[in-house]
Amino acid sequence: MDIIIQSLAAVYNPMTLLLVSIGVLFGMVCGALPGLSTSMAIILLLPFTYSMDPISAIVLMVSCYVGGSCGGSISSILLKTPGTPEAVATTFDGYPMAQQGRAGEALGLAVTASSFGTIFSAIVMLVASPVLAQAALSFQSAEYFGLGLIGLSCITSIGSKNQVKAVVSVMIGLMIGTIGIDSINGVERFAFEQPSLLNGINYISVMIGAFAVAEVYKNIEEYRHVDTSLRTEQKVKIKLMKFSEMARMWSSFIRGSVIGTIIGIIPAAGGSIASLIAYGSEAQNENAKPKFGEGNPRGIIAPECSHNAAVGGSMVPTLTLGIPGSPVAAVIMAAFLIIGLTPGPMLLREQPIMLNAIFLALITAALLLFVGGRFVTSQFGHILKLPYPLLGTLIITLGVVGAYSLKNSFYDVLIMFVFGLVGYFFDKFKYSNAAVILGLILGEIIENSLRKQIIIGDGSGMGFVTRPVSVLVLTVAVLTFLWPMMSKKFRNR
Amino acid sequence: MAIEIIFNILIGLGILFYLVQAVQLPTTDNPADVLGAGGFPIVIGIIALVGLAMITIRVVKEKHKVAIPMLNLRSIDGRMVFINVLLLAGYVGLLDVIGFVLATFAYLVAAPLSMGYRKPVVITIFASVTTAVMVIVFGIVFYVPLPRGVELFRDLSYLIY
Repeated sequence: MDIIIQSLAAVYNPMTLLLVSIGVLFGMVCGALPGLSTSMAIILLLPFTYSMDPISAIVLMVSCYVGGSCGGSISSILLKTPGTPEAVATTFDGYPMAQQGRAGEALGLAVTASSFGTIFSAIVMLVASPVLAQAALSFQSAEYFGLGLIGLSCITSIGSKNQVKAVVSVMIGLMIGTIGIDSINGVERFAFEQPSLLNGINYISVMIGAFAVAEVYKNIEEYRHVDTSLRTEQKVKIKLMKFSEMARMWSSFIRGSVIGTIIGIIPAAGGSIASLIAYGSEAQNENAKPKFGEGNPRGIIAPECSHNAAVGGSMVPTLTLGIPGSPVAAVIMAAFLIIGLTPGPMLLREQPIMLNAIFLALITAALLLFVGGRFVTSQFGHILKLPYPLLGTLIITLGVVGAYSLKNSFYDVLIMFVFGLVGYFFDKFKYSNAAVILGLILGEIIENSLRKQIIIGDGSGMGFVTRPVSVLVLTVAVLTFLWPMMSKKFRNR
Repeated sequence: MAIEIIFNILIGLGILFYLVQAVQLPTTDNPADVLGAGGFPIVIGIIALVGLAMITIRVVKEKHKVAIPMLNLRSIDGRMVFINVLLLAGYVGLLDVIGFVLATFAYLVAAPLSMGYRKPVVITIFASVTTAVMVIVFGIVFYVPLPRGVELFRDLSYLIY
């Protein structure tokens, strides 16, 4: 009881609440701007935390993590330019909703779902941290391979109009993902002795090109004839979900949050994979109206719940085992070390207030998302009032900054430019840009885990079917791949 | 139909090139690494090629038309897209020469004009404000390294960000 009171006092005081607000708002702004990431936002905050007490410092960074994770969806929905990698899946249904004049509704869904996902994972984190962290350690190469396959199962839904083209698109994404140094044995692959290709192709520059730049090209040829902007809404204002609407879509909230929490807990999986898997599981429903990819609210709820649930999830192995659950959690872990705390089993014993304080900060930050969302969205809303020639130009300039800032390299800007053209033609011939990105994101985890497991098995793949967790994950992967076909057959009967 | 077939052939050639490179990748010394560096690329390359063949056969059978405005330079829309692709290429090329401020300002002026937006005062204000905001937000507040250009442009950029 004493610990709970102390934790409440540590978080619910004016100074800490101010820090939570600053963290959320700063994270949201950074998340919404392509070129700035959540990890960068936290790194920028780091110097300010040196003089703070440990709890205030961690609370500030965790709040920034929550805000940044949600902020990426704002530019995803409004500009079709994901501000963060986690927001890729939100683009699939968020942007179509915005085009239909439902940007406010889409943003409301995103904020509500992000908030729900954060609170869900915070509760799970508080209740079952040590147990879940140990369970996550049972994930090895075979399970990661299955996880990657579950992520790929998205293609059966995002490419529902032409499955073969979606498969070819995902293969092209996987092929692009193999460029660079092979991380298993260090062989140079498809780099043609170009130093810039040795590190591979960053999926963020591909994403900006294939989504944002290609969309601008498309709109340039259309804007004189049709309404390509979001002009139907004079002012973009968040429309928050009513409780009855949330209750109607409860399954999407829960599914997304559960997937996000589990994947967040698994070390190095992260929010982007979580949101893709959540989207894929949601989009299995072929009878949904409107269809997924055409502005279905559930297509926003699931990935948003999922990647924000991954925030709390990723804190579980970080705090209990000292293993970061995501790149951003790694930055937060570094902050712990700077402050003089070592994350791991001892931290929970020696600093019991810390875990509770983080839990409370997550919940408070989740609630403050509504305030931050309203502010950041209204600022972005002004941009959308621009005539399309100005808006399109602005989107491309933001994309250039976003691509360049990845590694301070023109090579990434060039990649963005090339994939702008590729994305344009893919769109025209009904290939799936989203599937290319999916393949590119998941390629590394799939290939590396497949090969690592075979190496562990001394050249045999039996490890995939002898490990119970692996069998479970692979079965889920196979079922998610086959479900659309199976459900069609069942319906025909 | 012809355009889509040509497009598929181009993709097919790309995949074939990829496969040829994958086959030539060195084998590993580790006997347990059955797939090696080339195994996975070969598998996905073959799947892509088979899929592409299926798509092309369907395109030939169905004979549906696809309009690509960018390739039709006689139409205004096509010309606008094509010019914008060139403008972006020029912008990307100039960034490293004249730096972020000048290249961005020039692009922000040229691109709307190429799209038929004829309000020079609005464009000038828009380009100036956007460039300034981007430099302040990214270059000064968030320390995002922006391109500086070469020689004189580089020296000048240090005065701003």
